[in-house]
Amino acid sequence: MSGDLFGLIPWTIESPFSSSYVVSPSGDVEIIVWICIAIAVYSAFRVIVEPDVMRKLPFLNVFSFSISGIIALLIPQPLGIIAAVAYFVGSTFESNAIASTWAGGVED
Amino acid sequence: MTMLFLQIAFAALCCWFLFITVDMICGLPRNGGVCGATAIAKAIEKGGGNINGGTMMGNIVSSPDASAGTLLAACGVYCFGIPGGLIATILVYIGNRICYDPGYAGTTGCFIATFMVYGGTLIGIPAECFIAGMVIAILTIQGISHRNSSKLLGWIWRLFR
Repeated sequence: MSGDLFGLIPWTIESPFSSSYVVSPSGDVEIIVWICIAIAVYSAFRVIVEPDVMRKLPFLNVFSFSISGIIALLIPQPLGIIAAVAYFVGSTFESNAIASTWAGGVED
Repeated sequence: MTMLFLQIAFAALCCWFLFITVDMICGLPRNGGVCGATAIAKAIEKGGGNINGGTMMGNIVSSPDASAGTLLAACGVYCFGIPGGLIATILVYIGNRICYDPGYAGTTGCFIATFMVYGGTLIGIPAECFIAGMVIAILTIQGISHRNSSKLLGWIWRLFR
């Protein structure tokens, strides 16, 4: 995948995981990123086909695990940890909010 | 290539046993931390699962627990070594408080997993294998069959109790 995309993007794309700012992972890390992507796509499919709302949430949890793993693998810098944790805690908090609202709100 | 998959499989086994052990010791299957966790447990029980295993799965969804701690510790060690794992531990502690969870399963799991992942890098298993291993480990619990995995978790909980 090289060359600029229809002349719209000014930089050269060497792989799906790189831009002018993010260096493409090489070798083993790229295989691991593809494993995480496969698991993310599988869990997104299970979220769509599951009819019960409460039982969608564990699949959504698997999805956020794989996405935060991909974030940390693509940004191997100290700020990458903060990005991965922020994404994960945010998505967990959303699942928590959805589940608690669906169950009837917080009890005191 | 085969070596990489063996490393990932070994890392997945280590992560699986670590997060199940820490969660069981912290008593996650006993009761739901928030009412959403109890609701997920009831939905899983209605689908033919075990109530204790379902409660643990609901708690994993509702707040960062030892499985999230293991993943984020692996991310931290991959990016920044042991200091990265300790940064992740502090952030998981803050995340636990944000998610209205009084427990310490996530913080404990993240702290132990930091040293487990660092030990793995010393014996030739890189930290990125632990990231893939933890994603596969959570897939076996939360992502394949809720009925069977909740029964397995309920069986392990009876052994611990």
